[in-house]
Amino acid sequence: MNTPSLLEGLRFVDTFFPSGGYAFSSGLEAAVQGGAVKNSDQFARYIEDLLRGGMSRREALATKIANAAGSTGKASAALEIDRRLDATKLSRESRMASRQMGRQVIRVAADQIRAKPVLSEYRDEVESDRAPGHLAVTFGLTLGACGWSPEDTAAAFLYQTAVGFVSAAMRLSPIGQHEGQRILGEWLPIIERISREVDSDAGMSSWSPIQDIYSMRHGSLEWRLFRS
Amino acid sequence: MRVRRGKRKSAPQKTSTSLKRKPSGGSEPSQKKNLPTPSSTEFVGRVGELRLQYAKLDCRTVIAHSYFTTPWKLLPPIYLDETGAAYTLLVNPSGGLVGGDGLSIDMNLDRDAHVLISAPSANRVYRSEEKLSEQLITIMVGPHAILEWLPEHTIPFAGSRFRQAIHANLAPGAAIILWDALASGRMARGERWAFTHLENEIQITTATGESLVERYILDPATDLGRVGLAEEWDYVASLYVVSDAVSPEIWADLESKVAAILGELPGQVLGGVSRPAAPGLAIKLLARTAPDLTHMFDLLWAVVREALWNLPPVSLRKY
Repeated sequence: MNTPSLLEGLRFVDTFFPSGGYAFSSGLEAAVQGGAVKNSDQFARYIEDLLRGGMSRREALATKIANAAGSTGKASAALEIDRRLDATKLSRESRMASRQMGRQVIRVAADQIRAKPVLSEYRDEVESDRAPGHLAVTFGLTLGACGWSPEDTAAAFLYQTAVGFVSAAMRLSPIGQHEGQRILGEWLPIIERISREVDSDAGMSSWSPIQDIYSMRHGSLEWRLFRS
Repeated sequence: MRVRRGKRKSAPQKTSTSLKRKPSGGSEPSQKKNLPTPSSTEFVGRVGELRLQYAKLDCRTVIAHSYFTTPWKLLPPIYLDETGAAYTLLVNPSGGLVGGDGLSIDMNLDRDAHVLISAPSANRVYRSEEKLSEQLITIMVGPHAILEWLPEHTIPFAGSRFRQAIHANLAPGAAIILWDALASGRMARGERWAFTHLENEIQITTATGESLVERYILDPATDLGRVGLAEEWDYVASLYVVSDAVSPEIWADLESKVAAILGELPGQVLGGVSRPAAPGLAIKLLARTAPDLTHMFDLLWAVVREALWNLPPVSLRKY
């Protein structure tokens, strides 16, 4: 990857990007309130389990497929995996959060990277509700159009997700910045492994029943800091 | 998923009920194309096909056509209450699935039919050195028909390899309740999450193409296929309720009631409910014991039946 491609894509990975991700915890808030995550060790295990079982063959796979679509300029594969992802995300809050964040990404990407018509084409699909516009898909599509590889794109997506969880954990529990960085560092090997090993041809699957359940339970919490 | 079908030595069994309305499904042996038809006796009793066509006749749902091969057996439907709903037990007297077994079920419900499905016992999957045990279920629920798919749970033995797919398509106005449960293994023998491979796919699609999908692949020996934090539980289950004929208000009210029920066994059952992309509810739960799982299922099934059709639960006979 050359430097212009790196910089073009980094904007979408940076937490400074206005996707609204700070408002969502993907069920972590419910897990903390439910007692499943009480300390930093439990938090680290909970998220690593989610990255490995829940997101590797689902979001990371979708990101890789969408990356290829962005790279080739053919949106059809991205559209198909987007719809499949929508069907597999059974928790309404998490599904809508992913769609909202994804919509922000494709809007900015289509508006600013005009040399890649696949981005404006996909934005139109999302805006007209023909595509759900999940974050994993629009993120992958955008970084593919920027010239990133499928592996780097999947790694960047998982890293961004992991940072979001650390950020949420610091607001939900007594985890400090240094502890957050330590945990993030511990996740890097699994992020690298997932981004390398996930096979785009294997079909989408996901196994994270505990995290799925807490994501479902979030909507009925009595008090909430996050929207998911 | 592909399930092998073979030429069978055992005679296929067919039944037919006289109806004024011609059933939409055929009564001939498998019409599926592009599938291998091995002639070896190796597949006798191991490649079983069950096809059921239900229709509403007067005030009752009846089996209009059926076709089955060993190991499937078919008993006449039972009528558990005055609604005319046909209750069918899926009977596989072979005792379970071994490697290389490929069972299929093709089920069609005609307009207004109401069918309850269960099984006499758990679905046992035996150890296999190499071959998968497969089960493919395809369901078509006709206009304004109701299917309550409530099988017993699957028990994957240590070293087993199992793949299941359930694909259900709903016509306008149709409804489905689909229960799917998995045990960690034979707990009494100390077997927990000791299978070699387990793959499960559930897909429910409405007439307008909205769908929900659950698909997981577990290979506990691999890094990405491990069971993970769920290992501390012994049962994992899903209950899906989908229909395009139910108002958003009823779904919202039912979601609240289900959420309350899921909290009734804290520490023993962990459950959640939400609204999937298809119109309905998705309920997922983990349970410590079979009685906890059964108790929770009974509560959930009762509240769903009452909310959707104002029907009380019925006792599902298992014999």
